[in-house]
Amino acid sequence: MTPTDPSPDRNQRRVATDGGVSTTDDAESTSDPTEADGDSEKLVDVSSSFTVSDDDEDRPQAAETAIETRDLDVYYGDEQALQSVSMEIPEKQVTALIGPSGCGKSTFLRCLNRMNDLIDIANVDGEVRFEGKNIYDEDVDPVALRRKIGMVFQQPNPFPKSIYDNVAFGLEVQDEAVTDETVRRALERAALLEEVDGRLDESGLELSGGQQQRLCIARAIAPDPEVILMDEPASALDPVATSKIEDLIADLSEEYTVIIVTHNMQQAARISDKTAVFLTGGELVEYDDTKDIFENPDNQRVEDYITGKFG
Amino acid sequence: MASETPSSGTWFGSAEKVGRLRGRIFKWTCLGATVLTLALMLVFLLYVANDAFRPFSADPGWLATMGLTVVVPIALLAGYYYRRDRSAGQVAYTALGLPVLVALASGGLWLLFRHIVSPREWFVLVVSIVVAGGLVVGHSRVRHDAVTERLVVTVLVPLLVVVGIPTVLPGLGQFLYLLPVLPNALFSLILGFVLPVAAIVGWRVRAVRDADRDGAIAAGITVAGGLAGLGLGPLVGIHPTSWFVFAAPIVGALVVYVEHVVRNDKGLSGLAFPVVVVAGVFAGLAVTQLLGFAGPDAWLNMDFLTSAHDTDPSEAGIYPTLVGSVLILLVIVLSAFPVGIGAAIYLEEYATSQGRFGTVMELIQVNIANLAGVPSIVYGVLGLAIFINLIGMGRGTAVVAGFTVGLLILPIVIISTQEAIRAVPDSHRQASYAMGATKWQTVRNVVLPESLAGIFTGTILALGRAIGETAPLLMIGIPATVRIAPDSFLSRTGAMPRQIFSWSTQITTEFRYGVLAAGVVTLLVVLLTMNAAAIVLRNRSQQTQ
Ligand SMILES: Nc1ncnc2c1ncn2[C@@H]1O[C@H](COP(=O)(O)OP(=O)(O)O)[C@@H](O)[C@H]1O
Ligand SMILES: [Mg+2]
Repeated sequence: MTPTDPSPDRNQRRVATDGGVSTTDDAESTSDPTEADGDSEKLVDVSSSFTVSDDDEDRPQAAETAIETRDLDVYYGDEQALQSVSMEIPEKQVTALIGPSGCGKSTFLRCLNRMNDLIDIANVDGEVRFEGKNIYDEDVDPVALRRKIGMVFQQPNPFPKSIYDNVAFGLEVQDEAVTDETVRRALERAALLEEVDGRLDESGLELSGGQQQRLCIARAIAPDPEVILMDEPASALDPVATSKIEDLIADLSEEYTVIIVTHNMQQAARISDKTAVFLTGGELVEYDDTKDIFENPDNQRVEDYITGKFG
Repeated sequence: MASETPSSGTWFGSAEKVGRLRGRIFKWTCLGATVLTLALMLVFLLYVANDAFRPFSADPGWLATMGLTVVVPIALLAGYYYRRDRSAGQVAYTALGLPVLVALASGGLWLLFRHIVSPREWFVLVVSIVVAGGLVVGHSRVRHDAVTERLVVTVLVPLLVVVGIPTVLPGLGQFLYLLPVLPNALFSLILGFVLPVAAIVGWRVRAVRDADRDGAIAAGITVAGGLAGLGLGPLVGIHPTSWFVFAAPIVGALVVYVEHVVRNDKGLSGLAFPVVVVAGVFAGLAVTQLLGFAGPDAWLNMDFLTSAHDTDPSEAGIYPTLVGSVLILLVIVLSAFPVGIGAAIYLEEYATSQGRFGTVMELIQVNIANLAGVPSIVYGVLGLAIFINLIGMGRGTAVVAGFTVGLLILPIVIISTQEAIRAVPDSHRQASYAMGATKWQTVRNVVLPESLAGIFTGTILALGRAIGETAPLLMIGIPATVRIAPDSFLSRTGAMPRQIFSWSTQITTEFRYGVLAAGVVTLLVVLLTMNAAAIVLRNRSQQTQ
């Protein structure tokens, strides 16, 4: 189906969801009740012609673009949180978003899977193109979108269910078959299986913070999304747990497009391929290969920020 | 700093530099208020209990024996648990409380079997429900993809099977009655009650232990406990059907709980507590009988619970009104709970706070809070006006009483359910949405399971309020005394608090002291057991979070 997607099991999964079992009949818009059923089908249809996104801008990267934003403005009520952000996020790489707190990193991340829809006062202007489709089009079902773009939050937030049920959650809501094998594979890929093997029926809340966060990652990747968004996934963890998560992110980028918010610049430098620097007011000041950002940034303010002069 | 402490030698406060007097007075006043409340309650309870049980009318020998066999072991064990093994103490009171609670619920059920649905009707109902469930599950297996169709089937098939179409097509039950052989009451209860209870127990144990054999054993024990009534029942003078209704749930609950304690391997010695208590009571009774010590001449005894009001105080009992109160509670559970919980879910999860609609919602919210404070007599008037005068339902029936008191506790149910739902952390909803769950999936898979214990706690407490309400019952014509138990939800019924009130106006002193006290204690026991269940439930859900 998708030329850019060679892995056979993924294609299979798509067939399953594209069949429309869950997304057509069961889906309810989480925010906007006027959106009709079946929107998801449209979104998925377009995905079969992946490279619709126009190519007139030159691309520094060889990689395909997974997500592209154009002139993205976000307002919370009257307050503007993002100012005309345009960036192209490459596929199957790690893109880091850094910047001082309050500069709109999380807001940007939430735009990419329309979690901002859940905030009543948030208003989004502009385009976010994913697989050639603007996800803010009328006919896009945010629920179907979120099934392709997983998310991991700052505070580990496993459900008060068993480890097994936590991982199975996404499969269940997306109407995919829950098998021991899929659950174990997700735990394996999240580098957690070894530590929890044999006690999958224990509560996810009994794990340590770092394990909980990896459980959340396993939960996010179990239904095999295309993109994984991570909002400061390690900021609540100790250094050992953090380095485990960092290793894991590097592994994940082989299969998934990873977009990670962090306020830790060393972390961004260590794990990301590209880095976007946001500065106060919700401006995207510089976006380039991580090496370039950290070795010779173009922008003076970025340099000040990176060298710790402010922020 | 330096200016506040001019002489650096005395800064550490030996000269009462830091004033504490007002704080101390305040603390002691608050303590006084607490002690006063508790002392008043305690004195009242002791007073009523003394009237109801009259412990000092017993032989001193009886008291001494019972003290030795029951009170002393309890005190010793409690001391041991308190000193050595706190978790065993927790196990101890749950292991004793759980059977009591289940027995209470079974008692309600027993009353229903006796007066409302005969065991045979129950059996037919169970068969119908099982058939309907089977059809729905079968359909979802065969046509897994047809979601809309499944929804229709899930709603319509049970309705058709259980109820049928009035005057056109009878439900399955009607056909079953045509069968040449239908099990008698005994077998109806075995098939329709003991076995289902055992199945639930076995299924639960199987799920937590992940072993078919353990599930089968658990179910087997439950069945054995129920069927023991066939042999043991007549020996001790209990009809086997009554034995089934009480024993199967109690044994089943104990099996599940003992399995839980053994699996967690914490506080095992607590399990000895109920055994010691029961053994002590029996031993004490046996010994007193042997030695010929007479027990107390209590007002609250089995006769009181099983007989109706009588002009002779020593013959008077509470039975018919107990049945009435159970029916009323059932109507409340079936009417006010779904409505209240549904409204709370809507207000918390669906209603937006934005725009004009949000303003309306806010208004509704404020009004619900106000409704919780409306005097209960006003609800009585409301019930009289709507249900009796407007709709024309019968005066003093269980339905009208249930609806009226249900209306009264509706705001409480809504508010406590809202609180339980609000206690679910938003991060869990976010996680669910981010996984691509719809609103419905989030509510069903995340919000409701996590708030269920809280919802139960709140609603049980509301039910406790409902069972003691008297003023609305006066308004809707619940009779002052009844001598026969109601035989349906639509016939006139008594209610415990109403009966207690009319005893308080009798001229004979025995009514105003003894019988009244016995009634009050009965009501309080039911109420306090329900509240205890709610509290245990709340503690357990707090532990798991
Ligand atoms: N739910 C919200 N409601 C109102 N304002 C918000 C909300 N979330 C974020 N903001 C505002 O948007 C700006 C950017 O916030 P955020 O995206 O959280 O920044 P960052 O993640 O970079 O720290 C901040 O000024 C913040 O106050
Ligand atoms: Mg943030």
